[in-house]
Amino acid sequence: MGENITNNQEETIALGKKFSQGLSGGEVILLIGDLGAGKTTFVKGAAEGLGVEKVITSPTFVIMKVYQTKKHENIKSLVHIDTYRGMDAIELENIGAMEYFGRKDCVCFVEWGAGLEDYLKKRKIKTVKIEFGSLSENKRQINNE
Amino acid sequence: MKILGIESSCDETSSAVIDVNQGKLEYLSTVISSQVTVHANYGGVVPEVAARLHIEKILPIIDEALKAAKCDISEIDAIASCAGPGLISSLIVGVETAKSLSVSLNKPLIKVNHIEGHLLSVEKEFVGKIKLPAVALIVSGGHTQLILMKEYGEYELIGGTRDDAVGEAFDKTAKILALGYPGGPALSKEALKSGGKNEFNIKLPRPMIDSGDFNFSFSGIKTSVLYKWNDLKKTLSEHQLEIAKADMAAEFQQAVVDVLVEKTIQAGFQYNAKTIILAGGVSANKVLREKLANAVEKRLADVEFRFPEMSMTGDNAGMIAVAGYYHAIKKEFADPLNLSADPNWELV
Repeated sequence: MGENITNNQEETIALGKKFSQGLSGGEVILLIGDLGAGKTTFVKGAAEGLGVEKVITSPTFVIMKVYQTKKHENIKSLVHIDTYRGMDAIELENIGAMEYFGRKDCVCFVEWGAGLEDYLKKRKIKTVKIEFGSLSENKRQINNE
Repeated sequence: MKILGIESSCDETSSAVIDVNQGKLEYLSTVISSQVTVHANYGGVVPEVAARLHIEKILPIIDEALKAAKCDISEIDAIASCAGPGLISSLIVGVETAKSLSVSLNKPLIKVNHIEGHLLSVEKEFVGKIKLPAVALIVSGGHTQLILMKEYGEYELIGGTRDDAVGEAFDKTAKILALGYPGGPALSKEALKSGGKNEFNIKLPRPMIDSGDFNFSFSGIKTSVLYKWNDLKKTLSEHQLEIAKADMAAEFQQAVVDVLVEKTIQAGFQYNAKTIILAGGVSANKVLREKLANAVEKRLADVEFRFPEMSMTGDNAGMIAVAGYYHAIKKEFADPLNLSADPNWELV
């Protein structure tokens, strides 16, 4: 995906949608960026790309939400996790998130995700990092390696 | 009929005993892990349950609820268990405990949806008296929904948030303004300090207020706060920032309340509501309660406004027991050997 600049929410959604077209299943995507940087908006786009019919809302308080996808051969679920409230990997295990990480029929989007990269690496699960930065009130820089 | 309620969907572990007798509803006790509130019947001090995990707290809390209600478990007619939505690891504790009690004591088991619990947390002295149809605004950290209650047990989704829940928006805005935790109450407290002069001209949008539908969006407003606050921090002195902080908190609260009130009143018109219900953790917000109460009185003729007691606004088992009652009288019972917690259980 490389480096991208989006000028408003619609463009961030479109970028997320484009990104989702390159997914094959089993990916764990870590979304790193401050409050208001566009992480949930990006997931909305990815969800649209995968044919999720429900509205993607912020999982900050509910921590994990699982959505059924419709438009993909392999990917049956989109899992949206938010560790803003300080959940560590062990707590994620407790809520059953580990059952989804790395599964070929799922893609997982984790907002914030502190400490998760190393934790999953030890379990041989690769993560993809996408970084979100705010350039102005509406402009965002969204990069992945 | 005596119902034992059990709630453990998220952070709180709670148990409660209610008694419904010839249409009269009595909350005999409600015990909540983060705060222990006991009703007038029980005069003593209830020991604090210190354990961190639901699994350590649940049985002592059920014990306390029964003790405070001066009720032996054999007198319970049914057990109401919140089975979702929520966090699976939290829900499971309450559900499995309820199932075990149901089987071992041979008491009927009722599964209750957490959101229905909030909706019915407004039942006070009598059961079955909500004038229908009712439009309910359920606002908490994790949920923001407008629900049409056609009948007890018959609900329809009118609208909801497209991104952040109201409680979450309060929490995150409080974080931006460095107001401490929990964010919602901290922000409301800060807002009280505002003198209303608004000398720094702080104005926030009222998101989706004219959208013509019953949906909400609160993620944009936190971004607005972030940018305005960052700008103010660059130009104002420390003293000026103190004033601006209070003004910002007040303006944010007002913007959110404006949108919530407007959409709820519009829904009241659209659905010919006889009652407007406000419930969920954010229903504890005094400004929201007052503004909505005023709006209902002024703009919706002969419509009743119902809201929970302060102690019933957050997650609690009293509301679960009440919601359970309505299922019990219709004999809608769950199979204690097969009931599963459902973290995604949608009421509407």
